[in-house]
Amino acid sequence: MNQKQKRTLIIAAVIIVALLVIWIAFGGHIFTRTQVLIEKKDELFPDMVQKEWVNKFIWGLDLSLVLSVITIFIGSLLFYLFRDKKKIN
Amino acid sequence: MNKFISFLLTILFISTVISAQGFKVKAAGTQTFNFEDQSGRNQASFFSATPLEDITGTGSAISGTVSFDVANFAKTLKGKISVKVSSINTGIELRNHHLQSANWLNAANYPEASFEIVSVSDVKQTADNKLEFKVKGNYSMHGVTKEVVANADATYLDENDQTKKRAPGDLLGVRAKFNINLSEYDVDNALVGNKVAEKIELSINMVGSNK
Repeated sequence: MNQKQKRTLIIAAVIIVALLVIWIAFGGHIFTRTQVLIEKKDELFPDMVQKEWVNKFIWGLDLSLVLSVITIFIGSLLFYLFRDKKKIN
Repeated sequence: MNKFISFLLTILFISTVISAQGFKVKAAGTQTFNFEDQSGRNQASFFSATPLEDITGTGSAISGTVSFDVANFAKTLKGKISVKVSSINTGIELRNHHLQSANWLNAANYPEASFEIVSVSDVKQTADNKLEFKVKGNYSMHGVTKEVVANADATYLDENDQTKKRAPGDLLGVRAKFNINLSEYDVDNALVGNKVAEKIELSINMVGSNK
């Protein structure tokens, strides 16, 4: 393994760990969503709770996995391209 | 003898009060409430536990009417409430699409889910304008109709300055909750590769006006 390959491996590993950290930071949801449900009390009927969808991006495990697979693919490609090419005379 | 007659009259009075449970409000006679709400505040919602993630969905396109005699709610309540399947939102576009597809609720062939009231029982008056009760009804979904029993409560508000801001006329707020088994409605509970719970909790929160 040469220096370029090592750097590729480390960067890919850091990206994958970062993707997992981002996923956990967003609450560890399985699926990515663009809307979340909030509950509001009705002023006239205090017992009633009204559910309302608001636009909010939640990073899910599915997105982390897709980006991790892309990272592994690109990392593998670069790892292969950065291999030592031995000259055969 | 007089004591016996007064005892009988007391029993008769008590039994009449118990059997004719209704709202103690200004309104009288039969009232019909319309629950169609263009603002989308009226909602039917479902909750399902899955091995991966719990799913909550809401449907806001509610329509239907309910009528009853104000003084005798339990014996006179009738009506039907429907929700458009196409209005169901789970917060994930792809999942909404699957939910409404032919493999699941089939919104194209069965555009509405509905609850038609059959009878009311176990009425408890918790305030002059509020009743808690069980309501038996025919719930239809995915082309299948089954009898279910929902726990419900209704709150009657006479028209006042505050209610007028919401809608004209008296307002009736209704909450109801019941469970269904998906297999009883011929729904395959495989959704986006995950198993959805067989038992789904359905609830409704809605406010109707009698004008």
